[in-house]
Amino acid sequence: MALYTLKHIVHRYDGAPVLTIGRWEMQAETITGVLGPNGSGKSTLLSLLGFIMPPTRGEICFNGRPARPFDDAVRGKVALLPQDSFLLKRSVYQNIAYGLKALDRNGTSQERLIEAMLMVGLDWNAYARRPWYALSGGEARRVALAARLALRPEVLILDEPTTSVDAASVQLIKDAALHARRQWGTALVIASHDTDWLEDICTDTLHLYEGRPMGSGRRTLLFGPWEKQGPDAVMALTASQYFRAAKPPQDLLAAVVAIEAKHLALQRPSSAVAEGQQRLTGLLLRISFEQSTGLRCAAVLVGNITLTVYLSDEAEPSLHQPGQSVQVLYDPSKVAWY
Amino acid sequence: MPPIECPVGCPVGQKGTVEFLLQGVIQAFRLLFSGDPETFSAVAATVKASSFSMAASLILGVPLGFALGHLRFPGRRQLRLAVDTMLALPTVFIGLMVYAFISRQGPFGEMGLLFTLPGIAIGQTLLALPIVIALSATAVEGMDAGLRTTLISLGAGRHRLLVSSLWEVRHGILAAALTAYGRVMTEVGISMMVGGNIKWHTRTITTAIALETGKGMFATGIALGLVLLLIAFAVTLPASFLRRK
Repeated sequence: MALYTLKHIVHRYDGAPVLTIGRWEMQAETITGVLGPNGSGKSTLLSLLGFIMPPTRGEICFNGRPARPFDDAVRGKVALLPQDSFLLKRSVYQNIAYGLKALDRNGTSQERLIEAMLMVGLDWNAYARRPWYALSGGEARRVALAARLALRPEVLILDEPTTSVDAASVQLIKDAALHARRQWGTALVIASHDTDWLEDICTDTLHLYEGRPMGSGRRTLLFGPWEKQGPDAVMALTASQYFRAAKPPQDLLAAVVAIEAKHLALQRPSSAVAEGQQRLTGLLLRISFEQSTGLRCAAVLVGNITLTVYLSDEAEPSLHQPGQSVQVLYDPSKVAWY
Repeated sequence: MPPIECPVGCPVGQKGTVEFLLQGVIQAFRLLFSGDPETFSAVAATVKASSFSMAASLILGVPLGFALGHLRFPGRRQLRLAVDTMLALPTVFIGLMVYAFISRQGPFGEMGLLFTLPGIAIGQTLLALPIVIALSATAVEGMDAGLRTTLISLGAGRHRLLVSSLWEVRHGILAAALTAYGRVMTEVGISMMVGGNIKWHTRTITTAIALETGKGMFATGIALGLVLLLIAFAVTLPASFLRRK
């Protein structure tokens, strides 16, 4: 049974739709990354998943049952850390203990609060009595996270958790989130512009663009502009290179193409190209290892676009040296239009 | 500017003014510490009426102010405009309206509220209510949007969301209460029209000041004014400690 099931979701602000999702599921104990540019609806989706507000239309099921904000089925089980972590005008201790009091879990031992603080690198004796105004930005973010961790939630939703905090706090926040998953099986939903981190830890990703889902998994999104060329559509990547996509929709104005990393292949520039395949020449930027899948991943820059390519085990070792020119092969019919 | 006609006994000139102000201060302490029964009767009437009206206006006004500032419903802006307009209600007009309702010919005439402290308290509640509602709504409107998200994501139910939100804007609510209290304590129109300024019964400090000034007893008037200030100080002192928390 899925942890979350979203059905026919439409959310509007002042009548204008900002998020539209036909159907989407998320499994328990997974790490889901939400990716997309600013204004793509990431924060709105996280607020809906956090049951901060109900969707304008549609249904969100949690653990198989339709749920809404304030339902007992979600209170204390789903914790959202918003982008601007807000602290109550109270001491650090009162901020962290608030959730347990709100849920009438007063009997919970102080060890749980100490543990939550330690997870984010805050010493009880040094910080517990400190007022909210005597904390730095990074400390405030960590206190806000500790307040959520004290609940030991089933789902921890983090909206840009590492933005505007120092490097030490970033590491502590990342470690604390992963520790929660290991320790209590907490599912994580993370929206972040730190795509390297997300793609490294996430078991699933959801790409959003202008309030619409653009599929999941490791993929490259191409936002156009698209031009009709015979039965296909093309997008200029450089002065001499075009990305070709088959079966374009009628309206190309707001069309977006997604191509999965598994549908791209890497080869040396002089190699032959099989029939039906297209090739692009670019610069191999880096090769990374994806922990969640155990696959190696190459980032290739073509014009201003970075294509993400999975490297097969049979790939030539000489292709593993960043900085060299490489060819990316793809089948134009294996793209998805949105 | 032509010289002001003074009643009998009114001291004139700069020296005279300082002298009668000084007399007023001395008399204020004499009235308070000698246990003057007439003064204490006015103090008791003032404290009783204002306490009742403040309690009623806070109990009704704070939740209404929260609703007005927090909820989005059709006609909210118009309602807010109406409440803001009520901030300028003249006390004599409220006194007149309450008088009309509770006088013998009025719809609540049989309740016998005219020329009583409860009658004054009703009028003062009507005076304080728009202040509490409008200023509480302003405090709630200024609440950080992150507060609601934080409280819900930490598991707060609807009731706790309301209570915790009010606690977070407690300084604004306190300011609303003190402003309303200041207006209630210093009003004359309602106490005079609805209470009738009856000695030992409905005479409040402000109506007593008006009476003493009319009789030319300026020093007594100043003394009563200082007593009023002392009461205000006694109320705002604990409030200032609450503000620090």
